Amino acid sequence: MSNAKIESYSRALFEIAKAEGNLSVVEDELFRMARAIESNEQLRGILTDSTIPVDRRQQVVEKLLGGKASNTSVQLVSLIVGAGRARDLPAIVDRLVQRASSEQQREVAEVRSAVALSEDQTKRLAEALGKSTGRKLNLKVVVDPSVLGGLVATVGDEVIDDTVRTRLEQLKTRF
Amino acid sequence: MNLMSGVLFGAGDPSQTHHWLLPETAEIIYGGIASLIIFSALYKFAWPMIVKSMQARTAKIQKELDGAAAARTKSEADATGIRRALGDIDAERRRILAEAETQAAAILVDGRARLVKEVAELEAKAEADLAAARGRSGEELRGEIVRLSSAAMAASIVASLNDRAHQDLIEGFINSVGATK
Repeated sequence: MSNAKIESYSRALFEIAKAEGNLSVVEDELFRMARAIESNEQLRGILTDSTIPVDRRQQVVEKLLGGKASNTSVQLVSLIVGAGRARDLPAIVDRLVQRASSEQQREVAEVRSAVALSEDQTKRLAEALGKSTGRKLNLKVVVDPSVLGGLVATVGDEVIDDTVRTRLEQLKTRF
Repeated sequence: MNLMSGVLFGAGDPSQTHHWLLPETAEIIYGGIASLIIFSALYKFAWPMIVKSMQARTAKIQKELDGAAAARTKSEADATGIRRALGDIDAERRRILAEAETQAAAILVDGRARLVKEVAELEAKAEADLAAARGRSGEELRGEIVRLSSAAMAASIVASLNDRAHQDLIEGFINSVGATK
């Protein structure tokens, strides 16, 4: 999909979430949903399969998110899937998160961890990254078992990588 | 004797006017004249034709003789030509054979030289391949050892990553990031 369309969809989602008054919750839930679609090939296959009727794919979304996400988030994902743009959902949501962060004069910081972070850890990590980069951050934590252990944080072009996966890779190159 | 003379001369039968074998004198005269006339006519009319016919036949025979002589001359010339051609063919055959032998000898020499060169090149290539294979085997072995040891190390590390280790890594990251500015 072209950047213009991604931009248009993200703006629409942003305005709806803002109008509903739960922008921060929606952008967080949509961010998690986007990462889930990115990492789960089967889910991505079902949501982007044009041979499956649209209402059936929307039912899958409602079943997956029902009770776990806000009604606005479910409706917005359902809207994107219904428009046949499920493949572009991660890009649309990323743009939405950027827009929401810009609205709060914050920058998106994506942190990948092999295990989930506690609220306290997330808060302290946001503070530490903010202190380190000197910027206000909108922290997004992604549970990514492929990092094996440790964390990798991406803030704009800056990457702070202290994962077990990267250490093993570095060790391999030393041989 | 009497009988013989009687038969010959008819002396035995006096009624006979003349001899039974000889014609009468008048008949001899008429017959002689008629014969002369016939012979004269023959000489005048038939003889030239006979002579002409004989001359034509002679000419024809002579012509045939000349033709045969010419054919013989031509045959002899052809035979000479054929003999000469045979000689030429033989010389050409000898020349071609000699040329072929020369070429074969040259090809043999070239072939031997090329074979020697190819064998030398093959030997050099085989040596190089062997050296490369030895080097590659070493590299592959080293790579395999690295891969296996890395995999073993990764498996060992991942197995040792319990919840406590994860938390320590996370806290370590937060502390190290918070310490930098």
